[in-house]
Order: sequence, then structure tokens, then C-alpha cells
Amino acid sequence: MKRVVSVSLGTSRRDHRASIQILGEDVEVERVGMDGDLERARLAIQTLDGQVDAIGLGGIDRYLVADQTRYEIRDARRLAEAASRTPVVDGSGLKDTWERWIVEDWIANGVLLPTMSVLMVSALDRFGMAETFYRHGFSVLAGDLIFGSHINYPIESLAELIELGKKLLPEMVKLPFSQLYPTGDLQITAPDDRYYEYFLDADVIAGDFHFIRRHAPTRLEQKVIVTNTTTALDREEFMSRGVRQIITTTPVIAGRTFGTNVMEAALVAVTGILPEEEAWPDIVRKARRQLSREQK
Amino acid sequence: MNVLPVLEEFAAQCNQNERLRKMNRDWSRLIELVATDRNVTYWLRSEQGLITAGMGDVDEADLKISASEDILQEVFSGAVTPTEPYNAGDLLVKGHQDDLMRLDIITLLIWGE
Repeated sequence: MKRVVSVSLGTSRRDHRASIQILGEDVEVERVGMDGDLERARLAIQTLDGQVDAIGLGGIDRYLVADQTRYEIRDARRLAEAASRTPVVDGSGLKDTWERWIVEDWIANGVLLPTMSVLMVSALDRFGMAETFYRHGFSVLAGDLIFGSHINYPIESLAELIELGKKLLPEMVKLPFSQLYPTGDLQITAPDDRYYEYFLDADVIAGDFHFIRRHAPTRLEQKVIVTNTTTALDREEFMSRGVRQIITTTPVIAGRTFGTNVMEAALVAVTGILPEEEAWPDIVRKARRQLSREQK
Repeated sequence: MNVLPVLEEFAAQCNQNERLRKMNRDWSRLIELVATDRNVTYWLRSEQGLITAGMGDVDEADLKISASEDILQEVFSGAVTPTEPYNAGDLLVKGHQDDLMRLDIITLLIWGE
């Protein structure tokens, strides 16, 4: 059996372990939260190097994307470089393929309609999903500045998202990651009610689950949520708040939706193919087909 | 050397930029800037989307930035980003992290790629 471990900067309260089957092979996946401690995460990756088949980077992105350009977060690169034998992946290879296709599937089946307004709580960490919404004609507000930096400025077009990304990301990726994104227990702090208006105005709320959970109002009548990294309890809670549908970008396995980094690590472990390789999109397609069949 | 003309130009650039005026419309802050090598104090004030600059002591600043006059000049003229001297420990900041991040973003939007 292949074994992958997701080393997450998030809280250890969400740690779990499960077995999944992917492309006909059993994979044991484990998530270990480092409670925001970068050095502990680096040491954990160093220890796992050569001991497991792939390592996922959770609670941190290695790459942020604006259009065709990837910007590497300095702290994430340090973490990835702690392993020299085992591949370390952050989920960006799935975000750029699988997450685009998921949105297209739900548009094709009529649940997501281009007449709907979309709040993407953060788009530069999910550029593929954001671009898909924009390209299909949805009215999209990207909340990267609002939820990431508490600057009340919604980004209203793909062109502006790309322009801001190209201006800001080359320097922002050099900042300590804790300044860019909540880590550890900061992910489960008290709700922040400053930006409820954006949630109330949107039909679809998409993107990072921690941002959604922290900033969304109590009632979310008839909203469609597109996210991942949720537990059964998270989904129950959101449904009880009036949500019409929760679309998770990774499939529900053993009651939870794993982070894209976990699924990507599992795929890399099974196939030995890395997201940078030409064969990657085909591998992702095959895995999707198999997992979709199992979900039906 | 006097940093005030640089700060005034920085304020003018912010005020001419429609996007920055919109971003800062609800950001009311008084920022104290101390040139540590010359013991001179400057200030920037943000109110209703507009930035003003001046020289002299201030009471109860929301954000206090300390650096040598050279570094203050470089940061507020766009020669370097605040991140570089901050990461190197040459620019000290006391205040809320969100305010520092906003200053970073303002300078990048004026002078970024």
C-alpha cells in the first residue's frame, strides 16, 4: 500500500487518517497539523523524506498564479526543499486541472448558471477556478484583498485580478506566510462580520473554506458553496444555515473531502508522475472518472 | 536630507490614484515615521481616502515606523519595497499587521511591476 502524509500548517485538531483507492491502488493518507509552526513542519517533512511515497503541503500554497505566471511563496519553498527524495506537492496541479473541470461539470448540469453572481473569497490561490467562472460569463467578485488583507476592495474583473496579481505577488510571496493566510488555531477564530454584504449579494460562494467559515454570515439562504477540505460536520452545519448545495472540488471519501494537496500527493504516489509533467492532465482525468463512478 | 518632499510625493501619488482612494476610503490612520539616525519625526495621515504628509511629533499614532532616513526615503520613493528592509530588520514597525500589509500593498500598486 502506498502511503502519503499531508503536513499542514493548519490546526492539529483536524488531523485524520484514512485509506482511499485511487486508480485501482490503495493509498493510506494521513494529515498532520503543525499548528502554524513552520519549523516543526520543516522538520516533519525532513523526517518523512524517503519514508513515504509522497508528501502534501497543507494549509499553505507553494504557488500563487496570475494568468500564465506562477509565483512561489518563499516559506513554502523552504518546506518543500526539506525533502530531497520524496516528492512534495501543494495541490496546485489539481487546482489548475480538476477544479476547472469541476466548475465546468456543474455549469453543464445546470446547477451553476452564468446568470449567477459569484464571490470568490480568494482567487489567486485558485486561479483556475476563478478563470473558469469569468470565462463562462459569471459576474465574479474576487475577495483576495478583502479577506487576505482586510482592504475593503472587491476585484471585479479577470483583467484587474491579473493586473493586481502581477503587481502584488512578486513581493507578497516573500513575506512570512503567516502574514498572508491564517495558520494554526487562527483558522478557527471567532467569526468576522465586517464583510457580510459580499456574501449576501452572491449566489455562489467559492474558494478557501477557512475564509468562508470565518467571514460568512450565519444565514446563507439558497447559496451554493464551492469549496473543499470539509468534514461531514462542516457540511451539515452549512446546510443547516440555509445553503442550497455544497459542491466540494475533491470527492467525499470516508466522510470528508481531502485537501487538493492530499489528492495530488496520492496521485503522485500511485503514478510516479509529477504535476509538471505532460502526462499529468491525463492522469487527473482518469482519476476523476474512477472516483466519479464510485460516488454514483 | 529631508524625507518630507518624498512623503508629499507619495501622498500625491496615492491621491491621484482612483483605485487607492477607493481602497483607503475607510482607512483612517495616523502613521508616525521616525528617522532614527537623525531623530526627526514625520507623519502620514489617511482619512476618507486621501493621504497627507507632514513633519513633527504626533500624538497616538496607529502605526509607528522607524528606520534610517535613507531607508525611509527609499521605501517611500519606490526604490525598494518595504518588505526588503523589514525582512532584514532595517525597518521596524509597531502597530497592527493589517496596516503594515496595506502600506506594502499601496507602495506595490504605485510602483509594482
